[in-house]
Amino acid sequence: MVSFPEILERATRGPIMSSKDFDIKVFIPKVREVVEKYKIRYDPGTPCPADDDLADRIYQAALDLYADVGTYVIDTERVIQFSREEIEDAVYEAPKEAYFGEGPDRCVFKGRKADDSEIPHCHVGSGTDTTEDVALKMVEAYGRISKAKTVSIPSVTSFGPLKSSAGSPVETLAGISMMRTGREGLRRAGRPGMGIINHMSSCAQGVSTIAASNPQFGARQSDGWLIAPHAELKIDHSSLNQVAYLTSWGANLGQEAGPIMGGYAGGPEGTAVVTTAYCFHGILVARAIYHLTYPVHMNYVCSTTPDMLYVVSTSSQAVSRNVGVPYYALGYAAAGSATKQYFYEAAAYLLAIQSSGIGIEDVHPNKAVVTNGALPIDSEFTCSFGHGMVGITRKEADQIIKRLMETYLSGIKNPPRGRILTECYDILTMRPDDELRRTYDEAIRELRGLGIRFK
Amino acid sequence: MTGDDTLKEIEEAIVRGNKERSAQLVEESLSRVDPLSIIQGGMMPAMEKIGDRFSCGEIYLPELLMAAEAWDGAMKLLKPKMLEAGESIGNIGTVVIGTVQTDVHEIGKNIVATLLSTAGFEVHDLGVDISASKFIGKAEEVDADIIAASAIMTTTMTYQRDILEHLMASGLRDKYIVLVGGGVVNQKWADEIGADGYGETAVEGVRVAKELLSRRGGG
Repeated sequence: MVSFPEILERATRGPIMSSKDFDIKVFIPKVREVVEKYKIRYDPGTPCPADDDLADRIYQAALDLYADVGTYVIDTERVIQFSREEIEDAVYEAPKEAYFGEGPDRCVFKGRKADDSEIPHCHVGSGTDTTEDVALKMVEAYGRISKAKTVSIPSVTSFGPLKSSAGSPVETLAGISMMRTGREGLRRAGRPGMGIINHMSSCAQGVSTIAASNPQFGARQSDGWLIAPHAELKIDHSSLNQVAYLTSWGANLGQEAGPIMGGYAGGPEGTAVVTTAYCFHGILVARAIYHLTYPVHMNYVCSTTPDMLYVVSTSSQAVSRNVGVPYYALGYAAAGSATKQYFYEAAAYLLAIQSSGIGIEDVHPNKAVVTNGALPIDSEFTCSFGHGMVGITRKEADQIIKRLMETYLSGIKNPPRGRILTECYDILTMRPDDELRRTYDEAIRELRGLGIRFK
Repeated sequence: MTGDDTLKEIEEAIVRGNKERSAQLVEESLSRVDPLSIIQGGMMPAMEKIGDRFSCGEIYLPELLMAAEAWDGAMKLLKPKMLEAGESIGNIGTVVIGTVQTDVHEIGKNIVATLLSTAGFEVHDLGVDISASKFIGKAEEVDADIIAASAIMTTTMTYQRDILEHLMASGLRDKYIVLVGGGVVNQKWADEIGADGYGETAVEGVRVAKELLSRRGGG
């Protein structure tokens, strides 16, 4: 595989181009070209296609795209380019397993296949904005879910009375504080070795991430750090600095990519290709050994509409069939937490990704924009679903998704707000109130009626 | 070909994002149709159509950008003619837009800038990673009506508040309409920091900009 120093060399020696030219003259035309060349089509009547040939064509289109487009470096205004052979070598050499955590809590996260009967990797938690007063309790509640293998800890954007801003010293303090909180929460849950794999959700900048990643504050090599590109296929020095530091330490690096459906990638077909191409960027530039994807709809800012389910399902199939790296997806529900619509949207998204051969994570309520909007019951739902639906095929999933969509699509534009953690949980015991428990039980009963199994 | 036919063809060429064809048609029609009629009768209906199709998800950003490019190409031909004739194009308002300090996300901001521009605003796009003082400095320089600030992360949205606080500190708060938007921004945050408007989507942002401007007496 092309080495990281060689990546940095190309970042400073590659072709010079303005960001706008990269978007307009290179990226957009190439996406359109490969969508046509490989005859990739979106059928709104099949949100979760069981079509291996389509998945493989999306993979080939993504290869063509990335070999022609590469990754744009914002700070140097240059393009890191790769040959098709270099990309294929990287795919071949990329680890197909990632190990997280320590001691009895250590786990392996493997690539899966579509329609297979392996239990998916169940990742819980959320990097949603959370207030400091409940963050510890949230992590502890996540850690107590025994089926969960790895965890995301919340993003806290304050340090006492100080509000954090990207690049400010308060961000560094908030990052360090949250690192300690994450470790302590898992210790209190009886799972001190559990891998936290969304570092550093409280830090936007490389400098604060690196500072908070110092082992003296609790970070471990066996955790995971998510390196975010900029849409689409761009990276900056802040992220490359994180990669430089973490590869020097030998820590687990992951990629988190959220292509925008309706943005430069165009419609669902182009977005499926671009989502797949991010896997190559992740392996080569972000040095990722695990991959989180979260394509999102530009107008609805959620990922449970039929076109978004098509995007995540087909791109996941393309990756699981052809790359095989540890790969999971995060969905955004339009509905707020503690509503039945949330559980319906979450079920549709989880059906699409689990059957398509990747790992699962909690679908985030309220498009993840509401402070304290994520609930531990979302994680219970995810894990119970993941274990109950072992062996679900894409064909079965597609049928259930269509029935689910009949119940929630009309609520996407004006979704219910729901209730936040402090409105529906006893924070001392971290137990949901009776109303939420009733809502949850009802949703589970109705979902069982549609053929969904929970365990 | 009648003037109406020509305008219809210009409209279609822009809707299709055909920059060369729209420029050719504009050039040919200049001997028969005055520039303002070309804009009002052919180009603006095209962008209205594009805006509608974009907002209901029939087309996406690439098609929007191509139409905007065709619009720009046509305007380059028309502007000198209008200046010669002493005519004013007339915009409905002036907007200074950018992504806040330390935030380099640009897609959402670019979409809003494009939609504002094609809706008739004069748009000054400052790009990304823009400090509060740069937003305000540019707004003062171009005598803007609106400052529009995008932030995509919880840790960068605080810089939207900075813009409002800088405006207050310099006694300019009432001079500008301040709009905020971006991935994690919501109405609650906009209210909390005292912004004048918020758009969950780009289309909504443009609607809010128009509404606030007309309430103020502009546009």
